[in-house]
Amino acid sequence: MAQTFLDSNELVLNMGPQHPSTHGVLRVILKLDGERVNGTECVIGYLHRGVEKIAESRTYQMFAPYVDRMDYVAAVSNGLGYVLAVERLINAEAPPRAQVARVILTELNRIASHLLWLGTHALDVGAITPLFYTLREREEVLKIFENYCGARLTTHAFRIGGLQYELYDGFEAEVNAFCDWFIPKIDEYEELLTNNRIWKDRLVGVGILNAADCKRYGVTGPVLRAAGVKWDLRKAQPYSGYEQYDFEIPVGTNADTYDRYLVRMEEMRQSIRIVRQAVAAIPDGPIMAKVAKVLKPPVGEAYVSIEAPKGELGYFVVSDGTINPYRVRVRPPSLINLQALDQMVKGALVADVVAIIGTLDIVLGEIDR
Amino acid sequence: MKNLLKKIFLVDLVQGLWVTFRNQHPKHIYTEQYPIERPKVAERYRGAPRLNINPDNGETLCISCDLCAKACPENLIVVTSVRNEQTKRKDLTTFTYDTSRCMFCGLCEDACPVDALELTQDFELASYTREGLIWDRQMLEEGPRPTRYTS
Amino acid sequence: MAATAWEDELTSELAQRYGSRIERFATYLGQKFLVAEVGAVPEIVETLQLDWEFDYLVDITGVDYPARPKRFELFYILYSFARNERVRIKCSLAEGERPRSVCSIHATADWLEREVYDMFGIEFAEHPNLRRLLLPEDWQGFPLRRDANILAMDNRWVKENLGIESGQ
Repeated sequence: MAQTFLDSNELVLNMGPQHPSTHGVLRVILKLDGERVNGTECVIGYLHRGVEKIAESRTYQMFAPYVDRMDYVAAVSNGLGYVLAVERLINAEAPPRAQVARVILTELNRIASHLLWLGTHALDVGAITPLFYTLREREEVLKIFENYCGARLTTHAFRIGGLQYELYDGFEAEVNAFCDWFIPKIDEYEELLTNNRIWKDRLVGVGILNAADCKRYGVTGPVLRAAGVKWDLRKAQPYSGYEQYDFEIPVGTNADTYDRYLVRMEEMRQSIRIVRQAVAAIPDGPIMAKVAKVLKPPVGEAYVSIEAPKGELGYFVVSDGTINPYRVRVRPPSLINLQALDQMVKGALVADVVAIIGTLDIVLGEIDR
Repeated sequence: MKNLLKKIFLVDLVQGLWVTFRNQHPKHIYTEQYPIERPKVAERYRGAPRLNINPDNGETLCISCDLCAKACPENLIVVTSVRNEQTKRKDLTTFTYDTSRCMFCGLCEDACPVDALELTQDFELASYTREGLIWDRQMLEEGPRPTRYTS
Repeated sequence: MAATAWEDELTSELAQRYGSRIERFATYLGQKFLVAEVGAVPEIVETLQLDWEFDYLVDITGVDYPARPKRFELFYILYSFARNERVRIKCSLAEGERPRSVCSIHATADWLEREVYDMFGIEFAEHPNLRRLLLPEDWQGFPLRRDANILAMDNRWVKENLGIESGQ
């Protein structure tokens, strides 16, 4: 008699789109053998809003607010990538003061993104308290964003050619105060988690993705750095004046979840370092370059990518000489990183799947666009 | 030996618990008692739109140039006007703003040449009906009036 | 496009190997790209990976030009960690043409090609799992083609399902 469905040893479990640990509407279909995972299949697209199609009917300046809504956790870097891509197309460059302000806001944004990652990742694994503390710190960063551009989440902070808003009075003082207040907080998180035996038990040796696999799957960001590859777009192909700042790239050794946690914690410290250097050296001058109001870039295409908190975020903008972009393609780091999930969960337990999805730091808004 | 003692007496867990215990002090309370005390938002906050009125003569500052409508990514502003024969300028008749589709990006505020359209600090824009979110000129000039609760 | 010519060691070796199958090498705004025939692209990608250390496939995208006879343009963006260089491969294909998938060369092409299929309708031959990625399985149509009008689609749905004329 043929083996019926009830006879097979494999259980198909649906980790549905509505799930507290999938960081958005992600559906993962797990094929289980008891508690061990044999294979996974990710079903995405529940948050597809057609951002790339929208771009075809908006002008270049009009499209900038839409870009924030993709990686809604770290909206400022999305804006930076798009603005840099369009500036490349029209061959303009933001003035030095605007560039330094952009670096400060982008690094603060990186800290905010990693804080939310830490809170939610710890929550998924089972530690509830770090969530409260990281969100409290993130609140301070969002206050600085609100004071600067008027919105906390969907900031629309950068414009093509520079900045719209001048830095407000007390910006430097507030940012410096934040930096001084924040470093002991990172120490606090490390005290809570880094040497904690439960944390280590859950994370060490889980979800290993070595360097060769990372390159095969095109994975970038902290996941690649935890695998030992010392590569960061801010150092390899600097943009917006990053070559002036002195910072290090944290690298891990074991390419497991624990190393990714350590890499991101160290990245937060390095971001504070960059912010302090940038705030000390804000030049005077204009904040907006001479850019036409009605923007018609010459026919051509450009691909510009930045080191977003999640990986390499790229914008491929095709212009046909009219006021609307012909095609805007967003290369989302979370989508490419999520592809590696299948490789990382081979042989892991179901509880580890939750930890691995958390460590990849995915945002469904970016995956589905 | 030291490591064994640390393991038996749960030193790493106690360290974490001490952090949690430290944060229990009442000075660390972060809760905002909304709606009794409303949060203070930034000066540049992009909230509810408002059509400003000239304080001297009570007339609207809007010159019906339609730049805000052209700048809006969602095309949700509709400005109509009539031409005034005496002053040779346009007088604003109706100004419709659809806050249900607005993403509060601030492009209309940036585009206005006379600072008539402004995004204020009001963030309580809720309404019981979909139509109630489409604001006409009167609603825009007065602003939303959310219920005030007193303790 | 005001592109200038690109000539160095890499281009001369590729030109030697693939001859007329690569139309030209150019650079625009400091970004190097080469225009090739559809059939040659997987071989070029493999050569670049094995001989020239372009081991990271950054992105695969398509652009639709409905007015042209070969309406789609397919872009492959490759990056080399060792040389810190990015290269774009551009090819044109007509509707119905099926380029060969590069999944066997770079594992990351799996979902990238699925998305190109989902949005444009370009089918890739020898792809292990060519299904829709972002849209539901039973969706009709390919949204990112220029003739797919979202407004018209919306009005059609309202007319069919609600029986009224849409106000848009």
